[in-house]
Amino acid sequence: MTRNRFRRGLHRACIALIALLYVFSIPWYRDGEAPLRIWFGLPDWVAVALFCYVAVAVLNAIAWSLVDVSDGSPEETGADADPRTRR
Amino acid sequence: MRFGVWGIVTLILYLAALVVVAELARRARRDASPADHFLAGRTLGTFVLFLTLYATAYSGNSLLGYPGAAYREGYSFIMATGFMMAIIVVFHLLVPRLRPLAIRHAFVTPGDYLELRFGGPWARPLRRAVAFLMVLALANFLLAQLKAMGDVASVVTDGRIPYAGGVIGLAAVILFYETRGGMRAVAWTDAAQGIAMVVGLAALFGWLLFEAGGLGEVTRAVAERRPAAVAIPSTTVCIRWMSTLVLMGLASVLYPQAIQRVFAARDGRSLKRSFAAMSFMPLVTTLVVTLIGVAAIARFEISEAVAADEVVPRLLHDWGSGGGIGSWAALLVFLGALSAIMSTADSCLLSLGSLLSRDLLGRGGRDAKATALGKRLAALILIATIPFALWRDLTLWRLIELKMELLIQCVPAFLIALHWSRLRAGPVFAGIVVGTLFSVGLTLNGVTLGGLHVGVAGCLLNAAIAVIGSLFGTGNEPEWVGLAEVPSVAAVLTRN
Repeated sequence: MTRNRFRRGLHRACIALIALLYVFSIPWYRDGEAPLRIWFGLPDWVAVALFCYVAVAVLNAIAWSLVDVSDGSPEETGADADPRTRR
Repeated sequence: MRFGVWGIVTLILYLAALVVVAELARRARRDASPADHFLAGRTLGTFVLFLTLYATAYSGNSLLGYPGAAYREGYSFIMATGFMMAIIVVFHLLVPRLRPLAIRHAFVTPGDYLELRFGGPWARPLRRAVAFLMVLALANFLLAQLKAMGDVASVVTDGRIPYAGGVIGLAAVILFYETRGGMRAVAWTDAAQGIAMVVGLAALFGWLLFEAGGLGEVTRAVAERRPAAVAIPSTTVCIRWMSTLVLMGLASVLYPQAIQRVFAARDGRSLKRSFAAMSFMPLVTTLVVTLIGVAAIARFEISEAVAADEVVPRLLHDWGSGGGIGSWAALLVFLGALSAIMSTADSCLLSLGSLLSRDLLGRGGRDAKATALGKRLAALILIATIPFALWRDLTLWRLIELKMELLIQCVPAFLIALHWSRLRAGPVFAGIVVGTLFSVGLTLNGVTLGGLHVGVAGCLLNAAIAVIGSLFGTGNEPEWVGLAEVPSVAAVLTRN
């Protein structure tokens, strides 16, 4: 149970971090008049965005590894209800 | 550039290989049912599934449109790497819920899900409205691929194959192998085409860096030639950046061909592994094409926006002009680009056939007749699209944006409906109509909303109508209990 809770927490943390990284990747907080600085061959604001996207790729891959994609057999889903039935 | 007779010979050999694959795929088929033709009998394993997802997602748009946009906008088009990743993030909302339903109820098209999910008098109009938007978006996507095929064939062969000849001839080849081999042929050729694309792009980028003396030199040269291309983006560009992340992330998961690959996977594990691997592909594809487009700023001046879509063919032209190994390498990149474009076009065509016959016309049979109807309709759409491809006033990037602004209107019917059982067909239908009219109206009148895409604003309006209408509406549509059939996110995580 603790392990499951940990995985659930980790999945949520990954998605939350991904959202934060996306917000940080856009240079809305930078002074538009700042002079050009080059990091790793790129303008610094581009290098920051790229760093964010590399981190998003890693976190997203971890998040996918935490989710099981079911194949939908009734035993697997534990559902007997006919989905066409509506209440 | 002079590929000489070898350029033509290589092209013919490549096209002949596609025809052979189509025949092999035809022999591998189990029956003539729509599930076998359009979904390869749901047998795609991790490797082929990953490559077909990759080759379908990265297309003529990626190889010609994105470098063109990066050439026009400069480094701010790094946003493309972000939005291609956002697509794989948003799939978390769709795949774990849709896949179990798809397998249990043998879905072939997105409309099959809508039929299951929604009841009441508005269910059929809703299915048709979604199918209509998807067909429009796919036809637009197909159009972009045809334009890209014509460009590559014409520029790289130095006009030996004229633009129109490239469009028509290559469309005929795609039609042949898609009709013969269905999803199997498409997936198998996608796998080879995906590998060709990665190798080709890496080689082109490597050559550009070698020529310029490294990435830092490229940036300095671009800053000198066009300072705005390296400058920190304005507030409007930042808003557009965020809006593009939302637009592309939400709309791209609703590509019918992407949804159909979720249905076509052999099992859930293959799907999950493929998506995990796909997370990294923007770094080796979108990032590379963006840097190629930016690097081109330092090499040549293109004043016309539409002509910027020819950045990659022009670079290939430069590369091949030196002769020797450069010519062969450029030829391989040309084939990689062409194969990427064709792999996306064939996926569009396959999805169009099934969408038109099942979702729009309501021919939901599961026999050979239904498959044949789908093939005929796809052929008709392809032929109808060719004349538009010969008209060249829109940039590839603008075509992408227009398509996404339509597709994003389907978000409530999928992403909200899969997670909220009280969502009803009537309000969702009303939301789609209002959101689409709003977006199209503003686009036609040239109204802009700062950096925000009109499609994103339309989608917000659309979702508000769907949710508020479902909460307070007086319709007699029953609540959907099928949600109990799919595991909650918590259950999905617990099973591990």
